[in-house]
Amino acid sequence: MSDDLTQIPTDELIQIIQDDLYDGLVDGVEAGTHELLRRGLTPYDVMTQALVGGMDIVGVDFRDGILFVPEVLMAAKAMKAGMEILRPLLAQTGAQQIGTMIVGTVKGDIHDIGKNLVAMMMEGAGFKVVNLGINCDADKFLAAYQEHQPEIVGLSALLTTTMPYMDVVIKRFKEEGLRDKVIFLVGGAPLNAAFAEEIEADAYCRDAAVAVETAKKLIAIKRGVK
Amino acid sequence: MTDANADFVTIALMPSGRRGQVRRGTNLLEAARQLGVELESICAGRQTCGKCQVAVEAGQFPKHGLTSSADHLTPPDGREAKYQHEHMLAAGRRLACACEVTGDLLLLVPEESQARKQIIAKAATDRAIDVQPAVRQVYVEVEPATLEGHSGDWERLEQALAAQHGLRGLTPDALALAQLQPALAQGRHAVTVSVWQDREVLRLQPGYCEGAYGLAVDVGSTTIVAHLCDLRTGAVKATEASMNPQVRFGEDLMSRVSYVMMHPDGTEKMHRAVIATLNDLARKAAARAGISVDDVLDVVLVGNPVMHHLLLGLSPVELGGTPFALALSSALDLKARDLGLKLNGCARVHVLPCIAGHVGADNVAVQLAEAPQHQDDLMLIVDVGTNAEIVLGDRTQVLCCSSPTGPAFEGAQITHGQRAAPGAIERVRIDPVTLEPRFKIIGQAEWVEPGQAGAPSATGICGSGIIEVIVELFLAGVIDQAGRFSEAAAARSPRVRFPTRTGEYVLADGAQTASGAPIVVNQNDVRAIQLGKAALYAGVKLLLQARGVSAVDRIVLAGAFGSYIDPRYAMLLGLIPDCDLAKVTAVGNAAGDGARIALLNRAARLEAARLARAAVHVQTAVAANFQAEFVSALALPHASDPFPHLAGQLPEPAAGAAGGRRSQRRRAAPAQAA
Repeated sequence: MSDDLTQIPTDELIQIIQDDLYDGLVDGVEAGTHELLRRGLTPYDVMTQALVGGMDIVGVDFRDGILFVPEVLMAAKAMKAGMEILRPLLAQTGAQQIGTMIVGTVKGDIHDIGKNLVAMMMEGAGFKVVNLGINCDADKFLAAYQEHQPEIVGLSALLTTTMPYMDVVIKRFKEEGLRDKVIFLVGGAPLNAAFAEEIEADAYCRDAAVAVETAKKLIAIKRGVK
Repeated sequence: MTDANADFVTIALMPSGRRGQVRRGTNLLEAARQLGVELESICAGRQTCGKCQVAVEAGQFPKHGLTSSADHLTPPDGREAKYQHEHMLAAGRRLACACEVTGDLLLLVPEESQARKQIIAKAATDRAIDVQPAVRQVYVEVEPATLEGHSGDWERLEQALAAQHGLRGLTPDALALAQLQPALAQGRHAVTVSVWQDREVLRLQPGYCEGAYGLAVDVGSTTIVAHLCDLRTGAVKATEASMNPQVRFGEDLMSRVSYVMMHPDGTEKMHRAVIATLNDLARKAAARAGISVDDVLDVVLVGNPVMHHLLLGLSPVELGGTPFALALSSALDLKARDLGLKLNGCARVHVLPCIAGHVGADNVAVQLAEAPQHQDDLMLIVDVGTNAEIVLGDRTQVLCCSSPTGPAFEGAQITHGQRAAPGAIERVRIDPVTLEPRFKIIGQAEWVEPGQAGAPSATGICGSGIIEVIVELFLAGVIDQAGRFSEAAAARSPRVRFPTRTGEYVLADGAQTASGAPIVVNQNDVRAIQLGKAALYAGVKLLLQARGVSAVDRIVLAGAFGSYIDPRYAMLLGLIPDCDLAKVTAVGNAAGDGARIALLNRAARLEAARLARAAVHVQTAVAANFQAEFVSALALPHASDPFPHLAGQLPEPAAGAAGGRRSQRRRAAPAQAA
C-alpha cells in the first residue's frame, strides 16, 4: 500500500484496509486508518467498518479452518496497530465499547496460548479485554470483576484435571450474588458443551472465533432483555 | 453432535482408539466392523461362540465428545441371556453380535475379542550391558552344628559367607530365614544363598543351585512391557507385553488423574489393576522361559510420574495441576510383596527416580540407555507420546523438558486416525505430478498401488502414516507451508476436493478400505498434526536456548512410535530440528532398555540417581518465549529456522507469500453466523 491512498474511493479503501488486516500488514492498516480519519470519518466508524469488519472475516476463516493460529496472530497485530491510532480518539469522543471481558486460565493450569488467542480475537472484535494470565483462582476472577465490571468472564483449561475448577469459579460468583451479572464463556481442549451445561456456564466455545461470535450474540440478548 | 444428526450415533472403541459415526440401530458387530475394528466371531452372529464380547464403559468422555451408557445398547435378548447364564459371562460383558446401538458408546474390546491383535514393537534390543546384578547367588559350605558350639545356624552361615565370599554384615529377610535349617539339612551343610546388594539374604536353597531371574518393566500409559532376564548371564529369557489395564479408567494420563479426583478409591483401583497385570506378565514370562516365578528375585520398574505413583499406590492428584508436585522423586527399594507382586516372597523391587512432575523414571531410564552424559556430541533425545519428553545433553550438561504434543500422533483427533495395528496405513508416497498415492498397510508386505482394489483393506491411518501423508502433500504442493490445502491443487486431481470451505485429500478409495468409505486427510487433521509437532519443536527450541546453542550433533527417536517414523519425514514435517540425517536414529523402547540396564547392573542404579539429580529441568509452558516458538513452529517445516540438511528437498515457498492471500480471500466469505 505504498501507492497514493488519497486517490482511492472510501469504500474501496475500507476493503483494502480489511485485506491488509487479513494479511497482517501493519503498515497498510496504519496508513489506511490515518487516511480514513483525514477524510473525516469518525474514529468509531473507522473502527467498526474497517478494523472490526476486517477482523470479522479473519474470524470466519479461522473458524472454518482456512486460517490458522500464526495468520490470526499477524492479523490481530495489525488490528492492534490500527486500534492504537483510534483509541485516544475514541476516548475523546466517548464512544461506547462493545463490551468488556476478563479472561484467564483456571487454577492449576498453566497453558495460555489458546486463551491468549481468545483475548486477541475479542480485542479484534472491539472488546476491552483484561487478560488475567494463568493459574487464576476464584478470588482473582472476583477481584478482576470488581475492578473492571465486565459483561463477560472467560475461563480456560487445557487439562481434564483442571477443568473442574471452572465450576468452583462459577459457584463463587453465585455465592457473591454476581452470577447473573456476567456471561460465563468456557473453552479448552478437554471441554465440551455438556460440561459447560453441567457447570452452568453460559456457553462452551470451541475456538477463539466461536468465542467472539458467542460473546456478541449473548451480549445482544442480554442487552435486549434489559 | 448427535443432536444435529439424530440418525447417527458416535462409537469409540478402545484400545484401538477407532471412533466414528454409525447409523442408529446398527448391529454392534457390524458397527465395529464399519469403524475398522474386526471382532472375533466364529459363529457369525448366532450368539454361540461368545468370541465377540465387549464391555461398555459408562461415563462422559469429553475427548471423544460422547456420553456412554450401558443402556445405549438394546437389552440382552433370549439367546444372549441364555449364553450369559450358561457361560457365566463376566458382568458388563455383552455379545456384540446380539445388540444394536441406540446411543453413543465407548466400548472396551478385550484382547481376546480382537480378531487382529495389536502390534507392540517392544522387543528388547541388543545392548552391551556390564552384568553386575543387585541380586546374585553364592554357594557356601557351612560348618555343621556341634553340641559344644553355641552359635546358631545363621551365625555359622555368616561366618561361611565372610570366609568364602568376603560378604559381611548381611541381614536375612524374615521369610528367607525360615528356609535356612531345611536347606542346610537337605543340602548337607551346603547352600546356595541369593544375596541382594551384598546386604540382604533373599533366598536359601539346598546344595548348589543356578537360576536367579529378574524382571525389567516399563509401565507405559498404554502398554506395559516386561523383560525377564537371567541375572547371571544378562540374557533376556522372555519378553511379554500387555495393554495397561488402567486404560479403562481413563485413556490418557490426565483422565486417570481426574478419575482419582472424582473417585476416592481410584488410586487403589488403578494400583491393583496394574499390579495384577504385572503378576500376569511375570507368570507368562516365567512360563515362556520355563522357570518358576519363585526364581524371580529382583524387579526394576520405570514409568512416567503418574504411572510411577499409581504403581506405588500413591495418589497422582497433585500431578494433575501446577506445580505438578511429585510425592517423591528419589529412587526406591522395596519388597515386591509389599506392592502385592507375586514373585519369590523375598523378591526386591527397585523403582528408578523421577525428575519432575512430567519427566519420570521412564525418562531417567531412557537417559541411562542412551547415556548422553558420556557423549562428546550434543545429543537430542525425543520420546514422542501424548506428552513428549525431550532430553538434550552431552558430557557437560543434560537438560530435559516435557511438551504437550497431544494424542494426534497416536491417531486420536485425526478423522481416520488409529493406533499402529494391522490395517493401518503406515507409509505413504504421493506422485508429485498426478497426485496418485501408494501406501503400505501394517500386516501387508506389499505396497498398495493407486486404484488397486480387492486384496488389502485399510482401516485407518496411524501416526507414521499421518506424518508421511502430510509431508507428501506438502512436497506435492497440495498443502502450503502454512499447512493450508491449496484450491489450485483441486484442479490437478479429483483426489483433492473441497467439500466445505477447506480441502481434503482422498488417500484410499472406498474399494481399498474395510468400511467401504474412503479414507481422507482433511484440513483439521493437518491442523492437529501441526499443533502437536509445533509443541514438540518449541520444547526442543527452549532446551537449545537454555543450553545456548542453535543445532545438535545427533538425534535419537525413542519410544515405540519413534521406531516407525522415517527420520527424513520427521524432519521435513519439522517435528525435529535440522541435523545430518545419517545421525538421526530410532532406538525403540529405550525406557525398557534402561530398566534392563538397571536390573543387570547395580552401578547403573547409582548412575540413574546421579542423572536424575543432575538433569536440568526446563519448564516449557511458562517460559516467556514458548508461545512465540510454538507459533513459528506451526509452519512446515518451520516459519524461520533453516534446514540446510534438507537443501533441495523442500518446495519453493510460494512467491510473495505475504500479501498473496488477499486475492484468495476476496472470494466472498460466507455470512457469519448470527
